[in-house]
Amino acid sequence: MDHFDEFSRPLEYLSPLDKHLRTVLRTYIEQEIMPLRRRYDEDWKEHTLIEPAFDKIMGELGLQKALFPQEYGGWGLAGSDYIFRFAYQLCEELGRADTGMAVALAVTFWPLLVIHLEPYVNERLIAEFAPMFCSTNKAVFAANAMTEPQGGSDIENMGLLKGRTIRTTARQEGDQWVINGHKLWPTNSGGTARLFGVPCTTRPGSADIDDFAFIYVPADAKGVTQGGPYEKAGMAADKNGDIWFDDVRVPAWYRAHGPGRDAGAFYQLISFGQVASTAFLTGAMMNMYERLYEFVSTRTYRNRPLKENEAVAGIIGRIAGDIDICRILGHEAAMMGDRRNKPYGLPLVSEELVGKIRNIKDFVSDRAVENLGKAMDVLGCYGPDRDWDIEKHWRDIKIIQLWMGGKQLCQMESARYFFNCETL
Amino acid sequence: MNRSLDYLFGTAVGDRGEDAQGVISLVRQWAEKEVIGNRLDYQRNYAVLFEEKARVLALSMGLQRLALPEDQGGFGWHDPGHVADVAAVLSEVGRADSSTGVLLTMNYALFSILTRFSEGREGLVEAMTASYLDDGLKITSCVLPGPGSAGRETPLYKGRSIPALVESRDSGSTLSGANIRPFAAGLRADLFLAVCADEKGRPCIALVPGDKPGIQRGREVLTTGLNALANADISFVETEITRESLIQEPEAVPMLFTLLNLFLGGVSLGAGMNFFEILGDWSHSRVIRGSTPLKENPLCASVLADVAEDIACSRLLLEDLARLVSPSPRAWSLDTEGLYTYAVMIGARIQKGIMRAINRGMELMGSAGYAKEWHAEKHWRDVKTIQSLLCGVGAAAPVKMDTARFFYDCKEI
Repeated sequence: MDHFDEFSRPLEYLSPLDKHLRTVLRTYIEQEIMPLRRRYDEDWKEHTLIEPAFDKIMGELGLQKALFPQEYGGWGLAGSDYIFRFAYQLCEELGRADTGMAVALAVTFWPLLVIHLEPYVNERLIAEFAPMFCSTNKAVFAANAMTEPQGGSDIENMGLLKGRTIRTTARQEGDQWVINGHKLWPTNSGGTARLFGVPCTTRPGSADIDDFAFIYVPADAKGVTQGGPYEKAGMAADKNGDIWFDDVRVPAWYRAHGPGRDAGAFYQLISFGQVASTAFLTGAMMNMYERLYEFVSTRTYRNRPLKENEAVAGIIGRIAGDIDICRILGHEAAMMGDRRNKPYGLPLVSEELVGKIRNIKDFVSDRAVENLGKAMDVLGCYGPDRDWDIEKHWRDIKIIQLWMGGKQLCQMESARYFFNCETL
Repeated sequence: MNRSLDYLFGTAVGDRGEDAQGVISLVRQWAEKEVIGNRLDYQRNYAVLFEEKARVLALSMGLQRLALPEDQGGFGWHDPGHVADVAAVLSEVGRADSSTGVLLTMNYALFSILTRFSEGREGLVEAMTASYLDDGLKITSCVLPGPGSAGRETPLYKGRSIPALVESRDSGSTLSGANIRPFAAGLRADLFLAVCADEKGRPCIALVPGDKPGIQRGREVLTTGLNALANADISFVETEITRESLIQEPEAVPMLFTLLNLFLGGVSLGAGMNFFEILGDWSHSRVIRGSTPLKENPLCASVLADVAEDIACSRLLLEDLARLVSPSPRAWSLDTEGLYTYAVMIGARIQKGIMRAINRGMELMGSAGYAKEWHAEKHWRDVKTIQSLLCGVGAAAPVKMDTARFFYDCKEI
């Protein structure tokens, strides 16, 4: 194999933007991000190094506009039939360099997808928020403020809980929503995002999806308070913190779609997030392969290159084989998302699709966690060395395994679908 | 948690001698009072507090003297009869902080080796003991065989490249080797315990004071864990060493590996047990689906069971390894090679088991698993660092080769 691009992917699945995006983005990533990424960990709070990189890819290259229709200055990709595959490619490329940056960008799409993806399109809100993202060359972030202190990943378990455990409330007063609650851990919080998508309940304790509300809140709205970023094991480019909503008032039409439809639109996000997560993982594993290739070719055991020792070859062969399989699965997951509107596809709001895509993400997460760990061991005393990059990916991809409900929720979603479980 | 670690995992205190029980209890108090009880502060001011707390343990409480000869002012825990006690002490230290555990491991390995091969080196033992008895915190670094570089043949130790070479001179020897990655603490080491090869390619150990002319230290290497033990590549440029500082007895290098696997197994086990405590609190106090404690959910409980199983089995394996290393009329006796093989095999299994336990347990902690404030992630990074360093190179492959060589009499691998 001559190049990491030769890891398998179904060529017929590639988006029309594939070649162009790969060329432009990869050049930038290799010149601007990869040489600096070893210093990102120390930049977790200030983002002195990270912010200019975001300005370049999100603002100047324009990726933050990608979802918005062309008439608003965007690229119109949310309306295309390849938005999942485009996102996969984008997240894989960025994940190869830095999964923290990849998630910060992908999560900016997340709340915006709630108003962009058919059949849940809200033209008025698109027009409202388009200038924020499309009229600047600086990076602008959005965030989904989901997780709450008491519930962990319960909010993402919509299939079962239907928002019953949400404590952030939305109360309508005249032509405004009044929001109160406490969210924590959103990607792009910690002072980064300019716009929040906030899952709320209009009736605390209710498991009626009509009482689930998804409401947009500008970060500078009165009553919004943000804490500083948490310090984490990795992913320094992704800031996470607390957000308090204290009698925050927004226009009534900032609710995404209304009773019942908000839950459906929100549920669509789960699969998008899992596809993007899978892409981060395959991107990180591909870069691991590059670095591992260099190590096992130049370092020796028994005075022969490591890769020429059968026992070591058995380990690294399995690692590469797993990457190959995971990449195929990742593209398949993305394609499942893009088939959503086709007669032979599944709607995004279906237990079958959610279960299958979560299953792929869970599988790829496990492979990534295991293989990055093994790769560190192959490097021996150089495994924990930041200069070899593998340990950075090892720290980052563990975070990907744990987020969005983590492994156990993936297992439950799979069991629910494949075994028709009724009480899980 | 209602029941203690001692009850759950049969931790050290019960069946040990009075002295050992006393030391273990004291170290446990240090761990809980100085570190575990102040985790947030310790995490936020790690660089300063690591040094401060390590000094309390090593100097004020005397742990730096633990393996020094008794007749010269130490506690005398350098002989094989004490290895189980040393491993238990290191578990208590590892429960608080793995870097401190590694720091002490290196010192204990040094004096275990030095006193084992003390014949003809009495003066060296005395001088080194005096040096480690003084008021300063002593840092020992270890250079082990590991990956070589393509196109450059080196002498081997069981397939692993020996990075430094010794050349005899009239008055002693010189040690040479470029850009060597020590196990840890290369930047600040007061002494290097360096595996090297003599002129016939035989593995031996050189004891090299850190202030010797001819030692060059590179920039600090940023690492996944064990961050307090600042590491750096080192080069020995015809560094002179005395005759007695070169330990050429064939048992020395296998013994070093045996001790490191045992002692670092203790450190990682301790980290694993503290992770168990953190996870126990988490699974008790956090709920799933609005009201059920995590530990009462069958899926989460099965993950908790995996964590407990891995830690408990690692604990038993560590005890078994300690028994193998300790001379006892009841024990099954192994020669140096056999002991080495069991040590690397069990050592690798312990590291793998603890790493798997932490990896699995983190699955239940969500973002708290990787948030620094919960401390789980520090144990995860530290143990992974120990595991990778101890493997040497090629992941499990060298240990598998060692194992196959011993059990199947392989000649070529």
